[in-house]
Amino acid sequence: MSQNRREFLKKAGLGALAGLGAAAGLFPAFALEPTDSSGFTDAPVPGKVRWGMLVDTRKCLGNCTECIVRCHHDHNVPDFGHTKSEVKWIWKSGYENAFPTASTQFQNPEVLERQVLTLCNHCTEPPCTKACPTEATFKRWDGIVSIDYHRCIGCRFCMAACPYGSRSFNWQDPRPHIKELSNTYPTRMRGVVEKCNFCSERLVKGELPACVVSCAENALTFGDLNDPNSEIRKMLAANETMQRKPELGTLPSVFYII
Amino acid sequence: MNKFSQFLVALAAGLSVFVAAWFFIHAGHRGSVPAHAEVSPAVAAATVKPGGAPVDSAKCILPTDYMRAHHMQVLDKWRKDSVRKGNRTFVNPEGAHFDKSLNTCLGCHGSNPMFCFMCHEYANVKPTCWNCHLSPMEVSQ
Ligand code: SF4
Ligand code: SF4
Repeated sequence: MSQNRREFLKKAGLGALAGLGAAAGLFPAFALEPTDSSGFTDAPVPGKVRWGMLVDTRKCLGNCTECIVRCHHDHNVPDFGHTKSEVKWIWKSGYENAFPTASTQFQNPEVLERQVLTLCNHCTEPPCTKACPTEATFKRWDGIVSIDYHRCIGCRFCMAACPYGSRSFNWQDPRPHIKELSNTYPTRMRGVVEKCNFCSERLVKGELPACVVSCAENALTFGDLNDPNSEIRKMLAANETMQRKPELGTLPSVFYII
Repeated sequence: MNKFSQFLVALAAGLSVFVAAWFFIHAGHRGSVPAHAEVSPAVAAATVKPGGAPVDSAKCILPTDYMRAHHMQVLDKWRKDSVRKGNRTFVNPEGAHFDKSLNTCLGCHGSNPMFCFMCHEYANVKPTCWNCHLSPMEVSQ
């Protein structure tokens, strides 16, 4: 098709005029309207929520292991039968092991004998995630330090990096060592690291973690540390509390009332 | 027995396996997943909820032919979205909402414990899903 120079200039001029008009707001500029993407996804806003736990060691006394049994059952945690290859998500430590840098001089002997409930602290500055070469372990949008077992290569750098011993390694296939399979959570395979996940599989359904609901003494409080009106924040404000090894700057999300 | 009748028996046996497989694969849909107790209002308020009611569906998330060829890519995408981004809701072209979870699939297909295995066996593929995830062969879903 032939088009002479004059015709071309006429059309180009009209086009430029239309563009100017749109810029000046003479014509509605449909193409320039921002896309409303709010309906596209329900992905959470990173950092809005920070899950945390408060352990009241005054209520968690004696040899009760209700929460440990419930957690390890629900998450298919294997029992290999000896401490060397023990896998644990939540366990009890002696006071001085849990708080090795806390002052114990002239401390109340009852406190020194307490068995303190310990688990992954879901640190705000987690050294474990920085050590992981595959980004298998990572800090989630809601403060939970999670392990993507699909990606874990079993190098155990994270275990060396964690100052709290929160991580365990599966030296053998864990399946035959699970007493009763639970359908609430997958198992792991040989050669991956595992630890507490703050029951993220329950949180997504709006349920509290398994340990929290299993405690008959109500010793565990769980909630959003970023919400000043949450129960956990009110309890933190009303009580003297401790974190484990605070001097390391990991900013644990698990707090203790002694 | 002569060669021909041996052949016929083999043919009949093969055919019956395929018919059985067909019935297994198309075995029906189960109803809804039971509601969960112990919902904490505080946790529920701070938790991103999937839009609409997921899981309970009488239909597959996408057409059967598409799922046969692409379920692995769908699951791979779902895994990345839900595990790493927290984006848990899948909306299919018809606008139905589903939780991006293997449990959504097993909500229906779990009624037939052989569902995954029949095809994988036939196609001689060995996915590693069941190294960790519990298949309906091991525990009822
Ligand atoms: S307690 Fe250990 S495993 Fe948990 S977030 Fe902190 S460094 Fe990582
Ligand atoms: S053991 Fe797994 S999670 Fe830990 S650092 Fe290595 S790859 Fe990461």
